[in-house]
Amino acid sequence: MASALRAAILGHIRVPVVANGSKLLTPLWIRSMSSHDDHLEKTQVIDRILDIVKSFPKVDPSKVTPEVHFQKDLGLDSLDNVEIIMAIEEEFKLEIPDKEADKIDSCALAIEYVYNHPMAS
Amino acid sequence: MSTAVPPPSRKEILSLFRSFLRSSRQFSDYNIREYTKRRTIDAFHHNKTLSNPTSISAAFADGKYQLQVAKRQALVYYFYSPKVKSIMDIKY
Repeated sequence: MASALRAAILGHIRVPVVANGSKLLTPLWIRSMSSHDDHLEKTQVIDRILDIVKSFPKVDPSKVTPEVHFQKDLGLDSLDNVEIIMAIEEEFKLEIPDKEADKIDSCALAIEYVYNHPMAS
Repeated sequence: MSTAVPPPSRKEILSLFRSFLRSSRQFSDYNIREYTKRRTIDAFHHNKTLSNPTSISAAFADGKYQLQVAKRQALVYYFYSPKVKSIMDIKY
Protein backbone atom coordinates (compact mmCIF):
# COMPACT_ATOMS: atom_id res chain seq x y z
CA MET A 1 0.00 0.00 0.00
CA ALA A 2 2.83 2.39 0.79
CA SER A 3 4.29 1.91 -2.65
CA ALA A 4 0.95 2.72 -4.31
CA LEU A 5 0.63 5.84 -2.15
CA ARG A 6 4.18 6.77 -3.02
CA ALA A 7 3.53 6.33 -6.73
CA ALA A 8 0.38 8.46 -6.50
CA ILE A 9 2.19 11.24 -4.68
CA LEU A 10 5.07 11.13 -7.12
CA GLY A 11 2.63 11.25 -10.01
CA HIS A 12 1.33 14.55 -8.69
CA ILE A 13 4.68 16.00 -7.77
CA ARG A 14 6.53 15.16 -10.95
CA VAL A 15 6.48 17.97 -13.46
CA PRO A 16 5.33 16.72 -16.83
CA VAL A 17 7.88 17.12 -19.63
CA VAL A 18 6.81 19.78 -22.10
CA ALA A 19 7.57 18.83 -25.64
CA ASN A 20 9.41 21.95 -26.75
CA GLY A 21 10.14 22.62 -30.38
CA SER A 22 13.65 21.45 -31.11
CA LYS A 23 14.39 24.83 -32.67
CA LEU A 24 15.05 26.22 -29.20
CA LEU A 25 17.72 23.69 -28.44
CA THR A 26 21.04 24.81 -29.87
CA PRO A 27 23.38 21.94 -30.60
CA LEU A 28 26.26 21.63 -28.20
CA TRP A 29 28.88 22.12 -30.88
CA ILE A 30 27.86 25.69 -31.72
CA ARG A 31 30.04 27.89 -29.50
CA SER A 32 28.08 31.10 -29.54
CA MET A 33 30.57 33.23 -27.59
CA SER A 34 33.72 31.84 -29.12
CA SER A 35 36.04 34.17 -31.00
CA HIS A 36 38.37 31.35 -31.93
CA ASP A 37 37.47 31.44 -35.60
CA ASP A 38 37.51 35.25 -35.64
CA HIS A 39 40.59 35.36 -37.85
CA LEU A 40 41.69 38.15 -40.10
CA GLU A 41 41.46 37.65 -43.82
CA LYS A 42 44.82 37.39 -45.52
CA THR A 43 43.89 40.13 -48.00
CA GLN A 44 43.05 42.46 -45.11
CA VAL A 45 46.39 41.74 -43.45
CA ILE A 46 48.26 42.34 -46.71
CA ASP A 47 46.45 45.64 -47.37
CA ARG A 48 47.00 46.98 -43.90
CA ILE A 49 50.68 46.09 -43.83
CA LEU A 50 51.28 47.59 -47.27
CA ASP A 51 49.56 50.80 -46.13
CA ILE A 52 51.86 51.01 -43.13
CA VAL A 53 54.96 50.53 -45.25
CA LYS A 54 53.79 52.99 -47.89
CA SER A 55 53.09 55.70 -45.34
CA PHE A 56 56.62 55.46 -43.95
CA PRO A 57 58.32 58.74 -44.92
CA LYS A 58 61.52 57.23 -46.29
CA VAL A 59 59.75 54.74 -48.52
CA ASP A 60 58.82 55.20 -52.16
CA PRO A 61 55.20 53.93 -52.29
CA SER A 62 55.44 52.73 -55.88
CA LYS A 63 58.09 50.17 -54.97
CA VAL A 64 56.07 48.51 -52.24
CA THR A 65 54.87 45.00 -53.05
CA PRO A 66 53.96 42.12 -50.75
CA GLU A 67 57.37 40.51 -51.33
CA VAL A 68 59.57 43.54 -50.94
CA HIS A 69 62.57 43.35 -48.61
CA PHE A 70 62.96 46.34 -46.31
CA GLN A 71 66.69 46.74 -46.39
CA LYS A 72 67.56 45.30 -49.76
CA ASP A 73 64.75 46.62 -51.98
CA LEU A 74 63.61 49.75 -50.17
CA GLY A 75 67.05 50.86 -49.03
CA LEU A 76 66.08 51.15 -45.39
CA ASP A 77 68.17 50.91 -42.27
CA SER A 78 67.94 48.40 -39.44
CA LEU A 79 66.58 51.26 -37.29
CA ASP A 80 63.87 51.86 -39.91
CA ASN A 81 63.15 48.16 -39.81
CA VAL A 82 62.48 48.37 -36.06
CA GLU A 83 60.27 51.42 -36.63
CA ILE A 84 58.17 49.65 -39.23
CA ILE A 85 57.73 46.63 -36.96
CA MET A 86 56.65 48.99 -34.14
CA ALA A 87 54.07 50.52 -36.46
CA ILE A 88 52.79 47.04 -37.35
CA GLU A 89 52.55 46.21 -33.63
CA GLU A 90 50.42 49.30 -33.06
CA GLU A 91 48.18 48.64 -36.03
CA PHE A 92 47.36 45.04 -35.12
CA LYS A 93 47.49 45.52 -31.35
CA LEU A 94 50.23 42.93 -30.91
CA GLU A 95 53.33 42.59 -28.79
CA ILE A 96 56.10 41.11 -30.89
CA PRO A 97 59.04 39.83 -28.79
CA ASP A 98 62.54 40.98 -29.74
CA LYS A 99 63.66 37.60 -30.99
CA GLU A 100 60.80 37.35 -33.47
CA ALA A 101 61.05 40.99 -34.47
CA ASP A 102 64.71 40.60 -35.42
CA LYS A 103 63.76 38.00 -37.99
CA ILE A 104 61.11 40.09 -39.74
CA ASP A 105 63.04 41.54 -42.63
CA SER A 106 60.54 41.81 -45.43
CA CYS A 107 56.87 42.40 -46.14
CA ALA A 108 56.31 38.70 -46.80
CA LEU A 109 57.63 37.71 -43.36
CA ALA A 110 55.59 40.45 -41.68
CA ILE A 111 52.38 39.35 -43.44
CA GLU A 112 53.01 35.72 -42.52
CA TYR A 113 53.76 36.55 -38.87
CA VAL A 114 50.68 38.71 -38.41
CA TYR A 115 48.41 36.26 -40.22
CA ASN A 116 49.57 33.37 -38.04
CA HIS A 117 49.37 35.31 -34.80
CA PRO A 118 46.24 34.33 -32.83
CA MET A 119 45.85 37.70 -31.15
CA ALA A 120 45.95 39.89 -34.24
CA SER A 121 42.97 42.18 -34.62
CA MET B 1 93.04 50.83 -18.94
CA SER B 2 93.93 47.18 -18.54
CA THR B 3 90.57 45.72 -19.58
CA ALA B 4 88.49 47.30 -22.32
CA VAL B 5 84.73 46.87 -22.13
CA PRO B 6 83.55 45.69 -25.56
CA PRO B 7 81.29 48.18 -27.33
CA PRO B 8 77.61 47.28 -27.50
CA SER B 9 76.63 44.89 -30.25
CA ARG B 10 74.19 45.68 -33.02
CA LYS B 11 71.49 43.64 -31.25
CA GLU B 12 71.88 45.56 -28.01
CA ILE B 13 71.60 48.87 -29.79
CA LEU B 14 68.47 47.77 -31.66
CA SER B 15 67.04 46.45 -28.40
CA LEU B 16 67.66 49.83 -26.74
CA PHE B 17 65.98 51.56 -29.66
CA ARG B 18 62.98 49.27 -29.37
CA SER B 19 62.74 49.88 -25.61
CA PHE B 20 62.70 53.63 -26.24
CA LEU B 21 59.86 53.32 -28.75
CA ARG B 22 57.90 51.04 -26.43
CA SER B 23 58.20 53.39 -23.49
CA SER B 24 57.23 56.34 -25.68
CA ARG B 25 53.94 54.57 -26.45
CA GLN B 26 52.98 54.66 -22.79
CA PHE B 27 52.62 58.42 -22.70
CA SER B 28 49.01 59.44 -22.86
CA ASP B 29 49.87 62.95 -24.06
CA TYR B 30 50.14 62.98 -27.85
CA ASN B 31 52.78 65.72 -27.93
CA ILE B 32 55.21 63.99 -25.61
CA ARG B 33 54.66 60.64 -27.25
CA GLU B 34 55.51 62.05 -30.68
CA TYR B 35 58.45 64.03 -29.33
CA THR B 36 59.99 60.98 -27.66
CA LYS B 37 59.64 58.96 -30.84
CA ARG B 38 61.09 61.72 -33.01
CA ARG B 39 63.96 62.44 -30.66
CA THR B 40 65.06 58.80 -30.33
CA ILE B 41 64.91 58.27 -34.09
CA ASP B 42 66.93 61.43 -34.71
CA ALA B 43 69.48 60.63 -32.01
CA PHE B 44 70.04 57.07 -33.18
CA HIS B 45 70.42 58.16 -36.78
CA HIS B 46 72.80 60.91 -35.77
CA ASN B 47 75.05 58.45 -33.95
CA LYS B 48 74.70 55.76 -36.61
CA THR B 49 78.04 56.55 -38.23
CA LEU B 50 80.22 56.44 -35.15
CA SER B 51 83.16 54.08 -35.49
CA ASN B 52 85.24 54.75 -32.40
CA PRO B 53 84.41 52.09 -29.76
CA THR B 54 84.74 54.49 -26.82
CA SER B 55 82.34 56.99 -28.36
CA ILE B 56 79.92 54.17 -29.23
CA SER B 57 80.01 52.97 -25.61
CA ALA B 58 79.56 56.52 -24.34
CA ALA B 59 76.56 57.09 -26.60
CA PHE B 60 75.08 53.73 -25.54
CA ALA B 61 75.51 54.56 -21.83
CA ASP B 62 73.91 57.95 -22.40
CA GLY B 63 71.06 56.23 -24.21
CA LYS B 64 70.48 53.83 -21.32
CA TYR B 65 70.35 56.73 -18.89
CA GLN B 66 67.84 58.57 -21.07
CA LEU B 67 65.73 55.42 -21.29
CA GLN B 68 65.45 55.40 -17.49
CA VAL B 69 64.45 59.07 -17.61
CA ALA B 70 61.76 58.31 -20.19
CA LYS B 71 60.39 55.39 -18.16
CA ARG B 72 60.21 57.46 -14.98
CA GLN B 73 58.52 60.29 -16.80
CA ALA B 74 55.99 57.95 -18.36
CA LEU B 75 55.06 56.82 -14.85
CA VAL B 76 54.85 60.36 -13.48
CA TYR B 77 52.72 61.51 -16.40
CA TYR B 78 50.45 58.53 -15.87
CA PHE B 79 49.88 59.46 -12.23
CA TYR B 80 49.13 63.07 -13.00
CA SER B 81 47.34 62.64 -16.32
CA PRO B 82 44.42 64.94 -16.99
CA LYS B 83 40.99 63.42 -16.66
CA VAL B 84 39.92 64.28 -20.20
CA LYS B 85 41.97 63.33 -23.22
CA SER B 86 40.94 66.23 -25.39
CA ILE B 87 39.95 69.77 -24.47
CA MET B 88 36.88 69.39 -26.68
CA ASP B 89 35.48 66.99 -24.07
CA ILE B 90 35.54 69.53 -21.25
CA LYS B 91 32.03 70.68 -20.35
CA TYR B 92 31.82 74.13 -18.88
